[in-house]
Amino acid sequence: MSATRIHLKPKSWLWGTLTSIRLTVFLLLILAAVAVIGTVVPQNQPPTQYFSRFGEVWGELLWRGGFTRVYFSPWFLGPISLLAVNILACVVHGLPQAVKRALQPLTAETGLTLPERGQITWASGVDPHPLVSATLSRELGRYRSETLPGREIYLLERGRFRPVGPYLIHVALLLILAGALIGKFWGVDGQLSIDQGEVAGAFQVGPRVEQPLNFQVRLDKFQVFYYEPGGSPKEFRSDLTFIKDGREVSRATCRVNEPVSFGGLTFYQSSYGSQATGPIRLKVQLGDLTQSIEAPFRRVVELPGGRGQVIPMKVDGDFQGYGPAVLLAFSPGSGHPEVFWILKDHPELGEQPGPYRFTVESITLGYYSVFQVKHDPGVGWVYAGFLLFLPGLYLAFFRPVERWALVLAKTPQGTWQGRLLGASPRYREEFAARQERLLMELKRGTPS
Amino acid sequence: MISQILGIVMLVYLLVGILFLMAELWSSDRLENGGRIMLWLGLGIQTGALLGRWWESYHLALGHSPTAALAEKLQLIIIQVPLSNFYESLIFFAWCLPALGLLAFRRHLKGYLGALVALLSTLLLAYASFGVDSRIRPLMPALKSNWLLIHVVTAFLGYAAFALAFGTAILYLLQERRPRPSLPPLPLLDSLIYRTTVLGFLLLTLGIATGAVWAETAWGRYWSWDPKETWSLITWFIYAALLHARHLKGWHGRRIAWLAVLGFMAVLFTYFGVSFLLTGLHSYLT
Repeated sequence: MSATRIHLKPKSWLWGTLTSIRLTVFLLLILAAVAVIGTVVPQNQPPTQYFSRFGEVWGELLWRGGFTRVYFSPWFLGPISLLAVNILACVVHGLPQAVKRALQPLTAETGLTLPERGQITWASGVDPHPLVSATLSRELGRYRSETLPGREIYLLERGRFRPVGPYLIHVALLLILAGALIGKFWGVDGQLSIDQGEVAGAFQVGPRVEQPLNFQVRLDKFQVFYYEPGGSPKEFRSDLTFIKDGREVSRATCRVNEPVSFGGLTFYQSSYGSQATGPIRLKVQLGDLTQSIEAPFRRVVELPGGRGQVIPMKVDGDFQGYGPAVLLAFSPGSGHPEVFWILKDHPELGEQPGPYRFTVESITLGYYSVFQVKHDPGVGWVYAGFLLFLPGLYLAFFRPVERWALVLAKTPQGTWQGRLLGASPRYREEFAARQERLLMELKRGTPS
Repeated sequence: MISQILGIVMLVYLLVGILFLMAELWSSDRLENGGRIMLWLGLGIQTGALLGRWWESYHLALGHSPTAALAEKLQLIIIQVPLSNFYESLIFFAWCLPALGLLAFRRHLKGYLGALVALLSTLLLAYASFGVDSRIRPLMPALKSNWLLIHVVTAFLGYAAFALAFGTAILYLLQERRPRPSLPPLPLLDSLIYRTTVLGFLLLTLGIATGAVWAETAWGRYWSWDPKETWSLITWFIYAALLHARHLKGWHGRRIAWLAVLGFMAVLFTYFGVSFLLTGLHSYLT
């Protein structure tokens, strides 16, 4: 696309700049630099985070300057918008001509202007036509031939559609950017947290902003499976039921990598947790004294014997595959509080600080599961862009372009003479190899 | 067993590097052919070792979730491809370099260029065998996807193509500073930089696109500005700039070579830097 444009006179300074590759290179390098900032400065943190990490002055500068949300700030959106304009201008500027060239087959007139690559003279009485057509079709596939006054011309070409390649790539990029914009403006994106057994009718789209669903969804069951007790998790699984107008319409299982769609929204397994739904019964041992106590979730409980207090901080329905567990914070009258897990089914595991020894008698707990909920009408555009990119790259970079013309004419002596003409803008090595092969084949049966 | 075989492959590649260097110094065709044969041999053994690890990993997974159905077995084979942790990525990277080198450089893969490729692979294998946990671990739920195979394969082939472009660019810069008859001529090096960059750009684009499709099915977002994603985009920007800069006057040769060097720095950061220095969705190192 560059080669053709250099010869054209730019219409104006502005148009010339917008369609220039210099601008493209400049913008791409700027975008790379701005994108680096976003990976060095942590993004989307509260302002206090930046002040404590970078100091008053720099923190303020980063926060006010938009560097804490750099991909949504003018620093990034500016160059990328300009790049989109740059791409669009180049497409508008060059695509019609590229299409015109791709639709125009090689004509005899153009064929005759190609540089000459060799000459062949056949012996008198030899008709080279069968040899020529056999050689050409074996080497390059289909050919066309035309008869001009006093001579015949065979025309062959490969890669006629190559000039369209770069424009396919650039249209693909515009599709991807358009898809991103469509998703931004017409898409919905939020989070849904449901307790096991509960029904939800709305999801969170921002801090304290809820969006109602026009149906209801119930989390029937949430499960975590482990490869082995104490091992790594194998599967997170949520069994969901969708309810519309009071009727159960469909059931589905949502896993990581296996989202579920209903009512125009898609649900992705995002995270999970468990919480106590009732008090926790603990057995507390101090010396010979053993007592059973009831500890409400996240409430302070005075321990028998008066040697400290305890708070159940967290519960886990299946702690690393070892069954239910409670995270206790124990605070002895003086000194630092200690935090430790106790496992219901494996009281022997885990260390306790003493002097008390705790065991879990019962936990009433329930899982909750968190889903990413979204509808993005831009995804199709983005995928279309990905798909268009590939034939574009193939045509632009991997499709060899060759044009050949073989002119046959009779000499005054009555023998046949051939002139091989051809050109290839790139792929010089392949072109030279083919030229050698063609000439060698065609010269068979000539007096050498 | 497979780690020992990879140790042998490492020695073979080291030998290839030495043979290519000696062939260059004494301009010996025989040593060069020897190097070439050893390179094919090393690549063959390494391919066998990778397939062996794949088989082992598949059987371990089969032990965790036994199945008799053919479709489920095939699915298990696909997701158990040994590309799921840092060690496996290193040994696959070490495989990609000579494989892609033979494809992209063909008969030019000899002398200093060939030695560079072989020694880079040696280095990667050495790092993998001495500094990295090589145990096969069960797959975490996020990685259980058919996209794992195509995403990681395209990404690492892309990295390898850029590594080849980088090596060629270094030779170009050396040759330009002080011309040496033993190094390939500048126009050839320039065209090899271009060829490998185009190949890498195609593969990186495929890697990013398959990653985006996978992210859309796993997390509901095709793009999250995760550090790995962002750095792959930075890398993409730099190589896109390189491919465009070739059309500009005055940007031929040296500046293109420097861009190839800069681009590979971004590749290295995308691969190692993001994993060690930044945290995000791609933290699969531990």
